[in-house]
Amino acid sequence: MSEPIKKVCVIGAGTMGAGIAAQVANAGVPVLLLDIVRDEQDRSSVARGAVEKMLKTEPAPFMGKGAARLVETGNIDDDLAKVAECDWIVEAIVERLDLKQALYAKLEAVRRPGTAISSNTSTIPLADLTGGRSEAFTRDFLITHFFNPPRYMRLIEIVAGPQSDPALVASVEDFVDRKLGKSIVAAKDSPGFIANRLGIFWIQAAMNAAFDQGLTVEEADAIGGRPMGVPKTGVFGLVDLIGIDLMPHLMQSMTRTLTTGDAYLEIARDHPLVGKMIEGGYTGRKGKGGFYRVNRELDKRREAIDLTTGDYREMAKAIGPSGAAAKGDIGALISAPGKTGAYAWAVLGPTLSYAASLVPQAADTIVAIDDAMKLGYNWKWGPFELIDKIGAARLAERYRAEGKAVPALIEMAGDRSFYRIEEGKRQYLGLDGGYHDIVRREGILLLEDIKRTSQPLVKTGSAALWDVGDGVAALEFTGKMNALDGEVMKAVQKAIPIVQKGFKALVIYNEGSNFSAGANLGLAMFAVNIAAWGEIEKLVEGGQKALKALKYAPFPVVAAPFGMALGGGCEFVLNADAAQVHSETYMGLVETGVGLIPGWGGCGEMLDRWRSNPALPKGPIPAVAKTFETVSVATVSRSAAEAREHGFLRPSDGITMNRDRLLADAKARALAMVEGYEAPKPPEFRLPGPSGRAALKLAADAMHKRGLATDYDLVVADDLAQVLTGGDADWIDTVTEADLLKLERKAFMARIHDPRTMARIEQMLETGKPLRN
Amino acid sequence: MRDIVIAGYARSPFHLAGKGALARVRPDDLAAQVIRGLVDRTGVDAADIEDIIVGCAFPEGEQGLNVARLIGLLADLPLSVGGMTVNRFCGSSMSAIHIAMGQIEIGAGEAFIAAGVESMSRVPMSGFNPLPNPALAAKSAAYLGMGDTAENVATKYQITRVQQEAFAVSSQKKAAAAREGGKLVDEIVPITTKAGTVSEDGTLRPETTAEGLAGLKPAFDQNGSVTAGTSSPLTDGASAVLVTSEDYARAHNLPILARIKAVAVSGCAPEIMGIGPVEATRKALKRGGVDVGQLDVVELNEAFASQALACMHDLGIDESKVNLDGGGIAIGHPLGATGARIVGKAASLLKREGGKYAIATQCIGGGQGIATLLEAAE
Repeated sequence: MSEPIKKVCVIGAGTMGAGIAAQVANAGVPVLLLDIVRDEQDRSSVARGAVEKMLKTEPAPFMGKGAARLVETGNIDDDLAKVAECDWIVEAIVERLDLKQALYAKLEAVRRPGTAISSNTSTIPLADLTGGRSEAFTRDFLITHFFNPPRYMRLIEIVAGPQSDPALVASVEDFVDRKLGKSIVAAKDSPGFIANRLGIFWIQAAMNAAFDQGLTVEEADAIGGRPMGVPKTGVFGLVDLIGIDLMPHLMQSMTRTLTTGDAYLEIARDHPLVGKMIEGGYTGRKGKGGFYRVNRELDKRREAIDLTTGDYREMAKAIGPSGAAAKGDIGALISAPGKTGAYAWAVLGPTLSYAASLVPQAADTIVAIDDAMKLGYNWKWGPFELIDKIGAARLAERYRAEGKAVPALIEMAGDRSFYRIEEGKRQYLGLDGGYHDIVRREGILLLEDIKRTSQPLVKTGSAALWDVGDGVAALEFTGKMNALDGEVMKAVQKAIPIVQKGFKALVIYNEGSNFSAGANLGLAMFAVNIAAWGEIEKLVEGGQKALKALKYAPFPVVAAPFGMALGGGCEFVLNADAAQVHSETYMGLVETGVGLIPGWGGCGEMLDRWRSNPALPKGPIPAVAKTFETVSVATVSRSAAEAREHGFLRPSDGITMNRDRLLADAKARALAMVEGYEAPKPPEFRLPGPSGRAALKLAADAMHKRGLATDYDLVVADDLAQVLTGGDADWIDTVTEADLLKLERKAFMARIHDPRTMARIEQMLETGKPLRN
Repeated sequence: MRDIVIAGYARSPFHLAGKGALARVRPDDLAAQVIRGLVDRTGVDAADIEDIIVGCAFPEGEQGLNVARLIGLLADLPLSVGGMTVNRFCGSSMSAIHIAMGQIEIGAGEAFIAAGVESMSRVPMSGFNPLPNPALAAKSAAYLGMGDTAENVATKYQITRVQQEAFAVSSQKKAAAAREGGKLVDEIVPITTKAGTVSEDGTLRPETTAEGLAGLKPAFDQNGSVTAGTSSPLTDGASAVLVTSEDYARAHNLPILARIKAVAVSGCAPEIMGIGPVEATRKALKRGGVDVGQLDVVELNEAFASQALACMHDLGIDESKVNLDGGGIAIGHPLGATGARIVGKAASLLKREGGKYAIATQCIGGGQGIATLLEAAE
C-alpha cells in the first residue's frame, strides 16, 4: 500500500466538490479546496463562498465547528502548485471533458508523482478522461464517484482503469473507507456506473407507469415506496428532492452514452407535464413546488399535482397494498389485484430485468448492484434480493408468459436463489454459476454475520447478549425501534455475571436503524392509564440499578451508539465506561420534550462530565448551568463531534467514521481497557442547592418571556433544576451519586403524574412531534 | 466645604463584547493603559495621587481580587498610590468619584483617580457563579433581568417602540457626527493590543435607521417593545477622571473641566430600575440649588431607550441638551466604566459648549439611581 493520505486537494467547489472537502475535514484531515477565479479583486471568492454557504446549509455538510477550519480555500490560477503538498487530488469540476482534460494537463505539471488523482465524474468514461495523459498520470488515476450529499450518502463507486496502480487504488479505498466512512462499490467503466444507471431507469419506469396507468402520484408512491422497500418518498417524492429540472439532463446524459439496444433507450421519454413544471419553476422542493408541495396560502395544506391536468389539489391518502403485499412479499405485490399489482409489476418487471443485464456490464457481481442500490438509493432490498423474494424461476416464467426476453443471469439462476446461507456464511451466485462467500472488507465486523453462526448467551423480550469474539460480549437491544424497557434491564442484570465469568469486556451495540430512541413511552403511558405507579417507579429504579451496575461492573463497558441515541439510549452511553461513537450520532437527553426528566442517572453523569471540562469556570454554578442549558431544551447533537461539544462524550471517547467498523472499533477500545481495569469510583458532588435553583429559574423565566419556553416547560425545568442543584443541598456539603438518583426518581415521578406530561407523551406517540403545552 | 474639580478625563475606545477589538484584552491591562494615559495627559504628579478608586460591576476573574491596586501597579504608578475597588453595578465608577470627593472633603488627600472598567467579554454579566438568595428572589424583582426592567418602564411610562427607535437612531447619529467631527479623539486613549493599536470606538452603528430597527425582534419579551437596537450593547471599556481639590488643581496648573456641585444616590423599585435617575437627579439638583431648567448639558446614560425617555419626561429635561455626542446605545455601556465616562464627558461638554450647569446621571440594576451635578469652573 502507498503512503497514507495526510492532506487532500479538492478542485471544484460546487455542491459535490465542497461537500467532499467538508467530509475530508470532518475526518480531521486538512483539505485544500480550489475553484476558478471569478472576481479579480477577491481571487479565491468562489471556493471561500462555497465554504461560507456550507456553514449555513441544512443538513449541515460539516459535523462540527472545528471541521470548517481544516478547509483551506484558494483558486486554480494561483494555488495549483499547492497540490504538491497533497496526497490525493479529487477533481469535481463541471462535467465537460475538454475542461477536465485541460485541468489534468495543468495538474500533471505540478503534482507530486505518485499522488492519487481521481475524478468525481458521474458520466464520463475513465478512458476518455485520461486521453492524452502520460503513462504515470494514467497509473495514478481513478474515478471516485460520491453521492449527494457526500457527508450523508454512504455509497461511493470506485472505477479503476486497466492501468491504474492497484496499490494506489487500495490506498485511496482505505482512506475513503476508514476516514470518509464510505462503503465502496467497485464499478466498471460503463455509462452512469451502477446506482445512477439503474436508479434513472427505475425512476423513468415508475414515472412512465404512473402516467400510462392513470395513477395519482400518491397512489404510485404508496405502491412504489415502502412496499417495495423503497423510502416512503417513493419515486415522485424522490424526484421532488433531487430536482425535477435535473431529470432531462440525466436522461440526456444516459441516452447519449448508452449503446444501441440498451433497454433504457426504449423507455426514455419526456412527459409534457414535467417540461411544463420546469418551465414554470416547479422544480421540486428547491423550487415553487414539485409533484408535492405545501401550500402556504392555504394554511400549509399539503398538495399533490394532478398528473393529467397539471393542477394542484389537496393531497389524498392513497390506499397502498394490504396483507402480504404490504409486508415485503414482493411476489404477492406484483400479483396483487387491480392497480397495485399492475403498477408494481410495471415498475419492477423492467427494473429487475435491467438490473440483471448490468452484470457483468456495469459490475462484476450481483452484490455490487445490490449494495449500490441499498447505499445509493436507500433501498431496503437490492434488486437481486427482490428477485429472490419473488423467485427467479417465477420471475422468468412471467417474462416468458408476457413474451419478454429473460435476462441471461435470471435464466442461469433457474430455480436457485441469488443468495443463500451456507454453513452460516452468506453466499451469492456468481457468473460462473457457482456460489461464493460474500467477503467483507478487512477489519469489518458485523453482528449480522455473527448472529448467523451463533446463539445468544442471554435473550429477553427486548435485548440479547452475544459473543463477538476475543473475549468480548455485545449487548444488543432488540425491541421495536430498540425501545428500552424492563426486559432490557433484565438482560443487563443477567449479562453482568456472564461477562464477569467468561469475558473480558462488554460492548453495547446493535445494528438497528438507530442505537435507541429511548424508553418505551407506550408502555409508560399504559402504566399511567392503569395507575400502576409502583410499576413505573420500579422501572425507573430498575433502570438506574441496571445502568449503574454496568458502570461499576468489574470489566470495561463500551457503548457504541450510532444514529439516534436519545433519552434512555443516551443514558446507556453516559453510564458506560467509554464510548466509541459513529460519526453520525444524534444524541441527547430529550426527556423534557415529553414532560419528563432523565431518570436513569443521566443528570449526574452530565454534571460529572461538565464539571471536569477545563473550558468551564470553577464554582458552584457553571457545570450545573451548562447541564441545565443542554438538558432543559432537549438538545440533540447533529453529529458525534457535536455530541462532544454538548458534553455527552468525554474527550477520550472515540469516533468511527465508517458505520460498518463501529463494532470492531468498540471492541478494540474495550480490549485496550482490560489490562489493569478498575471500575470507576462513584462521583461526589458539591452542589449549590436552592440558590442555584433560583439562578436557573431566573434563566428559565427569561426564556419564557422571550417565547422560547412554554408554561409547562417552566414546571419541568424547575424539577430538572431541583435535581441538578442537589435539592436542598448546601454548597458546603457533599452530594452522592445515590442522592442524585433519588432526586431524579422523585422528580420523574412528580412529572409523570402530571396530565400535561401525559398529553406530551400521547402526542409524541401519535405524531412523533413534541407537544408544546 | 472645599471646592472639588474634575481635572481630567480619559477613556478607552469602546468595543462590542465577544467580537470586538478589545475582547482579548484583560480588563486590568485595559484600565491601566487608560489611567496611564490620563496621568500623562493631565501632567499631574503621580506621586501626589492619594488613591485609585476603581468601579467594577462584576469584580471577579481578571477584574477580581482588589483590581484597583493591581491596575495601579500595572500602570507603573508610584507604590505609594493606594487602590480600592468599589461596586455599585452600573453606578460603580460614579460612586468612585463621589468617594474621592468625600475623601478630599475630610482632608484625606488632594488628588484621586476615579476610574471604572468592565470587560463584558471576559467576565459575563451576572458573573461566573450567580447564586441569588432564593427567598429574596421569590419575593422581589431584585434579580430581574435588565431587559425586563426596560420593558416594565416602557409599559408603565407608555413609551412606544417607535419613540424608542427614534431615540436610538438619534443617539447613533449624534455619536457618528461627533466621531466625524473629531470630537471624540481627545478623550480616547489608544489601547495597545496583541493585534495592534485600537484608537476608535467599535460600537457605533451610524447606518442605523428607524426602518432597520423596526424589523428587529423583541429581545427580552416576545410581546414587548425593547430590542437589541434600543438597548445599550454589551461592551468592553475603561474610563477614568482625575478628581482633585480646586486649590490643588490651580496650584499645579491642571486642566480643570468642571467643579462638582452636588451628588446623590437614590433607591427605587428594582422592577423599574431604569427610572432611578429621576429621584437621584432631583436630590442632586436640590442639594446644589439648581433648577432643572438651568441645566445646559445632560449626560443621561442610555441603558435602554425606554428608561432614558421615561427619565427625561419625568424630569422635564429638554432632549436637545441630552447626550450631545451620543449615549450608551451608540457608544456602549461597559457597566463599571460608564459612570466615570459620563461625568468626564459632562464636564468636558460643559467646557466645550460653554454652559453653566451639567448633570451626569444613570440607572443601576437592583433599583437605584445616581447623579453628579457639575458647574463651570471658569
